[in-house]
Amino acid sequence: MPNLPQKKVGIVACSGEELAEGTVTRLAALKVLEELRPEDTVTICLPLFLAGGEGDRAFARFYPTIAVDGCDLRCAARATEMHSGKPAASIVVTDVVAELGIGPVAGLRRLNEAGQQAVEETAVRLADLVDTLLDKKWSRREGRFVEPETVLLTTQQPKVASCACGSGIPVQVVDIEGQAVTLIALPVIFEQFHAAGKRPSPETITALLDEIKIYNPVSPAAEAAYREAIAAEYATLWGELEPIR
Amino acid sequence: MSEPGKVVIVPCSGIGKTYGTVSREAAYEVIETLRPETAQLVALSRLVLGEANACAAVAANPAITIDGCKLACATKMVQESGGHVAEEFAVLDVFRRNRQFKPQGIAELNEGGLQLAHALAEEVAAVIDGLQEKPEE
Repeated sequence: MPNLPQKKVGIVACSGEELAEGTVTRLAALKVLEELRPEDTVTICLPLFLAGGEGDRAFARFYPTIAVDGCDLRCAARATEMHSGKPAASIVVTDVVAELGIGPVAGLRRLNEAGQQAVEETAVRLADLVDTLLDKKWSRREGRFVEPETVLLTTQQPKVASCACGSGIPVQVVDIEGQAVTLIALPVIFEQFHAAGKRPSPETITALLDEIKIYNPVSPAAEAAYREAIAAEYATLWGELEPIR
Repeated sequence: MSEPGKVVIVPCSGIGKTYGTVSREAAYEVIETLRPETAQLVALSRLVLGEANACAAVAANPAITIDGCKLACATKMVQESGGHVAEEFAVLDVFRRNRQFKPQGIAELNEGGLQLAHALAEEVAAVIDGLQEKPEE
């Protein structure tokens, strides 16, 4: 497998700047990313689904994602589904506040007591959802959960917010039978095969295609065309780079 | 809700970097303290969703965007939503003009961050004043 984050949960906060509950979403997400589950979570700015590239738009397919919204407009959940992939779970702060009965949240810049309680509770619920999602098996090919299975967690990250702004998922556009197809994670897969000294060969291309299919949908009918395109791309890359000895 | 005649302020919505927080702090200072009568804030998430009221607000009023990084999401989203960006600010550029204020912190800005946000807010307020004085085309 390429050295990509194998099992993390994506958090997308609405960040709604007009409402104090939007501030709650930001601070709760940050608390989970930095303190509660720093090794298991990553985030992306919601606007990058439109303002970013293909790698950014792949976010919610690559990671099971939790949308955190401030109000029932649910911009984060709905926009994530529209532009990236259906969130695996979602939390709405106004629902959390109503359940807790903690009174009106106020203070765009400095949250009041109710707002601070809402941050704590939303963060705890987010962390619980992260744990729940990590126990399930996520298919990056299909962008949804598949049958339950034990998953080994080995990732280690420093305790800083893992902001994916502008980094996204590495992608490469490949010409497949005249169609420009964006393949998620292809640059990293190529890099690792090259670093391992795997020369272009039928066996290597088969192994490459198996890796590519983890992150990208490849129908059986299109497999031969993918194989041909991947073989050409990898041969080109191999020719451009100094072979590993 | 959109308020006709008020300049729209759209800050960055990034949660992972200090400059994003500076952009919001400046926007809040403008709409709460410096120019509450002539400026309104529109959340970026509503533009991403394509929410009708938010799109109408940027379509009907000049917008000032404040971006926290070079990806310029706020500026791009206003443009994609059919709005007119009257002025775009990048926090990094404002920092370059005010290097004495060194911002730190994300959830909570340090003193340097608050001062930088204030300097940015003053620049935004000056642009709002200019837009208000401009005769309608």
